Amino acid sequence: MNTLRTLTEADFQPAPSQDNLEQISRPSLSYWQDAWIRLKKNTRALISLYLIVGLAFFTLIGPWIWTKDPAAQDLDQISQAPALPKTALLVKDFEPSATPIDTTHPPAPSGYPDALDAVTGLTVLGTPTTQSVRLSWSPVDQAGGYSVYRSESAPEGLMGLGLPLASLTAGNIVGFEDRLNLKSQTYYYSIIPTDGFDEFDVVSTLEVSPQQSITVSQALERQLIDSDDRPGQTVQLAFHPLGTDYLGRDMLARLMQGARVSLFIGVVAPLIYVLFGVFYGGFAGYLGGTTDQVLMRFADFVVALPFLLFMILFKIAFGIGPGESGILPMLIALILLLWPATARLVRGQVLRIREQGYIEAARLLGGGPSYLIARHIIPNTMGVILVTLTFAVPSAIFTEAFLSFIGMGVAPPTPSWGSMCNEGVKTMLSHPHELFFPALFISITVLAFNLLGDGLTEALDSKMRSKE
Amino acid sequence: MNFLKSLAIALCLFSGAIEAQSVDATRQVVKIALAQEPPQLNSMKATDQVSIFVLGHVMEGLTRYDRRGNLAPGVAERWTLSATSAKFWLRKDAKWSNGDPVTAHDFVFAWRNAVDPKTASEYAFILYPVKNAEAINQGNLPITDLGIRALDDHTLEVTLERPTGYFMKLTAFVTTFPVQERFYRSVEASYAADASQMLYNGAFKITDWVHSASLKMQKNETYWNRQTIRLNGIDADYITADTRARLNLFIDDEIAYTQLDGETYKDALKNQFRIRPFATGSVYFLEYNYRPERITSNLKLRQAIQAAFDPDEFVNKVLQTPGNLPGASLFPSWIKGVNKTFREEYPAKVLRPDLAHAKRLLAEAKAELGVEQIPPLVLLVSDSPTATKQAEYTQGMLKTKLNLDIKIDVQTFKQRLAKMTEGDFDIVGAGWGPDFDDIMTFGDLFASWNLNNRGRYNNPEYDRLVRIAMNSSDPTTRMEAMAGIQTLVYDDAIILPMYEQGVIYIQHPKIKGLRRTVIGSDPDFTHARIVP
Repeated sequence: MNTLRTLTEADFQPAPSQDNLEQISRPSLSYWQDAWIRLKKNTRALISLYLIVGLAFFTLIGPWIWTKDPAAQDLDQISQAPALPKTALLVKDFEPSATPIDTTHPPAPSGYPDALDAVTGLTVLGTPTTQSVRLSWSPVDQAGGYSVYRSESAPEGLMGLGLPLASLTAGNIVGFEDRLNLKSQTYYYSIIPTDGFDEFDVVSTLEVSPQQSITVSQALERQLIDSDDRPGQTVQLAFHPLGTDYLGRDMLARLMQGARVSLFIGVVAPLIYVLFGVFYGGFAGYLGGTTDQVLMRFADFVVALPFLLFMILFKIAFGIGPGESGILPMLIALILLLWPATARLVRGQVLRIREQGYIEAARLLGGGPSYLIARHIIPNTMGVILVTLTFAVPSAIFTEAFLSFIGMGVAPPTPSWGSMCNEGVKTMLSHPHELFFPALFISITVLAFNLLGDGLTEALDSKMRSKE
Repeated sequence: MNFLKSLAIALCLFSGAIEAQSVDATRQVVKIALAQEPPQLNSMKATDQVSIFVLGHVMEGLTRYDRRGNLAPGVAERWTLSATSAKFWLRKDAKWSNGDPVTAHDFVFAWRNAVDPKTASEYAFILYPVKNAEAINQGNLPITDLGIRALDDHTLEVTLERPTGYFMKLTAFVTTFPVQERFYRSVEASYAADASQMLYNGAFKITDWVHSASLKMQKNETYWNRQTIRLNGIDADYITADTRARLNLFIDDEIAYTQLDGETYKDALKNQFRIRPFATGSVYFLEYNYRPERITSNLKLRQAIQAAFDPDEFVNKVLQTPGNLPGASLFPSWIKGVNKTFREEYPAKVLRPDLAHAKRLLAEAKAELGVEQIPPLVLLVSDSPTATKQAEYTQGMLKTKLNLDIKIDVQTFKQRLAKMTEGDFDIVGAGWGPDFDDIMTFGDLFASWNLNNRGRYNNPEYDRLVRIAMNSSDPTTRMEAMAGIQTLVYDDAIILPMYEQGVIYIQHPKIKGLRRTVIGSDPDFTHARIVP
């Protein structure tokens, strides 16, 4: 049963070409596009990314919008909590006045009084303002002096009298002018008569609510009024949306200026040392052998160097004098001492990738070292590099905050978030906002970079793709 | 939750059991905190408040201050004073902590050493009323020529250079404390560097000194007047300049005494502590550097700063604590004059800011110096929170008002003193507390020979006025000369007076007899006791 196939001419014709044999049903994705798509699915990472973009705006564009001078001291609004803008009464400049003395009254008691009457006729002269509260009273018979106290809550008898403002040492002094750091709130002034030495157990208390005020010269200095404005008018005080610090400096403006220092260190230092670490580690890993050994032992040596000591040494070596910013030595110390971690990581990756089959194949097909590095090795270590970078940023910000906190960083009046925390922590209980805001910004930044780093690890690692 | 609760209860019980005690009535021990490590416990060289505080408790001079603040016999039992000499009879039961008697030779040794130019004591000048002291200190005479002589072990004779009304008050001052020569020679350079490197003749002795951490003092059993000393120990378990930390220690009953500042007093008020005021008698000022290469040697520049500064604003808005007085003069308001206080008799010119005038002066200063813009000035300050805040205020104020750039140099107290002595500053935030109860304690501060004149201010007119006051015992002549100095301080803008210090403090209610004093060792625990 041998059937012979008869071949015809047509059998030797080329087959008709078919264009649509295979069709790409989905668009082709590059490595980056794929990573971006997967990053977008990660809500936490995406929010962090928006936060970081927001911070960049806050730092770079913010000072153009909020133009207040971060070093300007508004002494009328010291340690002001965040509040709506305030108005103030324009008053005349302060002129020291003579102590009011009732000349008809003897300055000292004639004998040793056993008891004294309480002070009577305690009033305020004029309008009480935050510039000055002028108390006046009638002299007490046989008194040899008076003690003046001020409290922010109503005293109960002789308890809780508050601050001892003055001990007047003559019985015929009938007034006292208080100018000590007055705020527009209610105060309780207590006067206790003395015999010149000891206080007696009688107290007269007066409740006073000073009106927010500003002097003409201060208002002019801060450009709140024109030169033809007169005392008695109402002036709009400078607005501080996030409050002020212990010298009346605007917190928002200081946070913006501080962000420059913090983010500068936080971005520039990691960028440089991660880049250096990549080259160093890549070089060591690719060459391998003795070179690798020598290079990596040197990296181990650098790891052992103490950061703080070097920071101080650089500060001295650069001739950074007192009162000058320590940011440059900090930057250099960070760069010189922190690269080995990246270098080790990249070297490990390169060592692993170098031995992969596709590298062998590429080499056999005639790929030179530069081609191999550029086409295969670097793209495959990219994930590790970017993740190191995002984790290095918060750690650098934290280092800066810490160094400024211990006074090794910025020089006043330049703020950084760390130095602002340092100042704020002193008044944590009485003015919490001075610590809260810079601490909040540090926390948000560090958290945002960390979460973004997490997100990037997942997005950039091509092996994670199969698990989805 | 249950676990946490029981843990919390356990912790409460635990802390109750070892409850911190800042005062101990049965043991009569009080715990305090020092503002800093005492920089110099060598009595011949000590200059600062903390060292003087410690030395005032562990050493004793010929005289001392009693619990009422009056001069009382110390090592000297009695004395006679004439215009040109003084004679002291030392008590025989005054002993060093090693049992040796305190002799007249110990005073001779200490005084000679203090004026010896090799010792380079900054307080040598305080002994200038003693014959030949000044010449010796300038290296012109041997130290054996000093007008002090031990007639025998217990009789001391001092010859004076000139009649000095306040001489007796000097004998309670730290520089005049005795030092045993034999012991000093045995430790030489390390004298007073550690608790065991010192001999004590005061009411207490240092028993344990962990540098920068703690310093414990115990009653000195060899002290002649030990019967009157009630306290058995003063434990400075903490050394911190941070007033916040000290207040927290006080709240936790870890320390029995602390000073408050603008940031801490509100918390003290909230805790209902009884706040006590005290005028320390010290004057705080900005001191300029007059070395010729320094730009601050320009008078117009200093006057511009003077015209821009508002002491009233500074005291009320920046310092924020009651009791401080706006600075106006080198002489504080408590200094005695002829009949009343000096400042009542010779009122100081009130410093009021005048911005237009300040700007005019600054323009003149720039013209004189031939510069477009004044180069940045270095403001040297201590590292206490209060000092840095004041420095930041000054920096901001001079920048806004005069467009002057200031660099703040924050240093530890010891380092600040060293830098002041080296002249490594343009402006320094300094203060001066009285050493003895006489106007001269402030008056000669900027005399050309005074080593505490760290800015090297040198003005023959100033020196002339000081010499008039020094060489006279007539109060009016002396006060007239000092009034001249007060005017000179303003006209020549020698310093910028910032404030006269008043402090507020809190102390444990069980401590009685704690003496606050303007002069010498403050606070003085010597006669304090703890009531149950």
